[in-house]
Amino acid sequence: MTEHVLTLKHFFEEARAGRLTGIRCGKCGELAIPPKEFCPTCQEYDWTPVPLAGNGAVTSFTVIRIPPRGRAAEAPYAVAVVRLDEGVSLLGRIVDIPLEHLRTGLAVRFRPLMTGEQTAVGFGPV
Amino acid sequence: MRRVAVIGVGITKFGKHDRTSSELFAEAAADAIRDADIAPSAIQALYYGNVTGGEGEKQLHTGPLAATLLGLPTIPTTRFENACATSHVAFRHALMEVASGASDVVLVGGAERVLNIPTDAATEYFAYCSDASYEQTVGLTFPGVFALIARAHMEKYGTTEEQMAHVAVKNHRHGVLNPKAQFQKEITVDTVLKSAYVADPLKLFDCCPFTDGGAALVLVSEEIARKRPRAVWALASQAATDTMFLHEKRDLSRVTATERAAAAAYHQAGKSPTDVDVVELHDCFTIAEIVATEGLGFFEPGAGGVAAEKGWTSLGGKIPVNPSGGLKAKGHPIGATGAAQIAEIVTQLRGEAGARQVEGARTGLTHTLGGNTATVVVSLFGRD
Repeated sequence: MTEHVLTLKHFFEEARAGRLTGIRCGKCGELAIPPKEFCPTCQEYDWTPVPLAGNGAVTSFTVIRIPPRGRAAEAPYAVAVVRLDEGVSLLGRIVDIPLEHLRTGLAVRFRPLMTGEQTAVGFGPV
Repeated sequence: MRRVAVIGVGITKFGKHDRTSSELFAEAAADAIRDADIAPSAIQALYYGNVTGGEGEKQLHTGPLAATLLGLPTIPTTRFENACATSHVAFRHALMEVASGASDVVLVGGAERVLNIPTDAATEYFAYCSDASYEQTVGLTFPGVFALIARAHMEKYGTTEEQMAHVAVKNHRHGVLNPKAQFQKEITVDTVLKSAYVADPLKLFDCCPFTDGGAALVLVSEEIARKRPRAVWALASQAATDTMFLHEKRDLSRVTATERAAAAAYHQAGKSPTDVDVVELHDCFTIAEIVATEGLGFFEPGAGGVAAEKGWTSLGGKIPVNPSGGLKAKGHPIGATGAAQIAEIVTQLRGEAGARQVEGARTGLTHTLGGNTATVVVSLFGRD
């Protein structure tokens, strides 16, 4: 039995409290978003949780205008891939940034998005 | 391992149907068996693809159901689900069953029905093919996934919305020539550019439609195929996987699973991109065709947009891509798509494609991509 460094449940519980957590491989230094068993780079199992500051820049984004069922009231909304300063990327919903101000390279900061019991990754202005 | 050939193909009309996905598959399969000119009782197994039956039709256990409706209720069946690559994955496994000698005659294909449910529900079910924790929670849709890829490609290579529009125009032009296509109507670059944004920078006419339909193939061993002049040989079939998380992709402008599956398939067949005469590839969105033509080695990375604009991928061009109309115009019943692409290539290599025939085609390639680019299958086919 392996000791789970960080499960999805733990990641999102931490995120709900405003803290982003990555995992770093003790063998090769790979930084990843949990959960993982083996390191995808060196195949070792030697993860340590590391705090991520939550600051990053948009690498790609889109504005969703035809949403899935249940999200009609939210549309249009933006989703972006954000490269965090630590070197790992994360997908998130853009909040409190006008859609027309979005561009690649824009600096953003993590914030949790909470809908009832569910927590999602959000990014807002720095 | 034995050589394997396709000797029968069947496709329903693509579009809206008032029949279940299992009925649609049974129709396509019966056509494939008639086309193969074999007794239905010769079929030894069914490899079946269906994605959203559990959600949209409240129907699981679709393998035995499809076999039952076909009238072959006692053959072993297996149901596959790899998002939009579903029936191409099923094909690869059916191929291995025949190649291994375990069976001599195997039926493979798939079907989907989604036009019976509202668009927002279908959008939700398709989004289930992306990750539930990180991607569905932020409201990402499939047009959204490819919009992120499109923007990365545009920023890195200067690809334009107009170049993407040329893919849609070309595939609609081809679709006019295919009586099974959902859309048989030409459009212009202006039609695409003036259509509403779905997920910026992708507009409505950059997107393939929701589609009902089924497709089926009969695979046989070399011994049986040798007596069949219309047999088309499966020269290679290779699958590759990439991380399910968009945030883990190192370069959003590339689909590395396509590159790896293609390299393995070319190696297996002893072929190179310049040997390929006709291609059916996964154009779920216009940008997907551009990225695929690069990943399959037909054009350098970044040159796919220019190739589309110059007409190099059109019927009559350097490398005809999606003569069937592709997912864009022929339609995209996701569980059936891989098998339908193979059916088109078999038809082309037999020289039976009529008005959309690529003259003298000897070698063809099929490429199917699943979900957020995590699954790709590439297969090669030939007359000898």
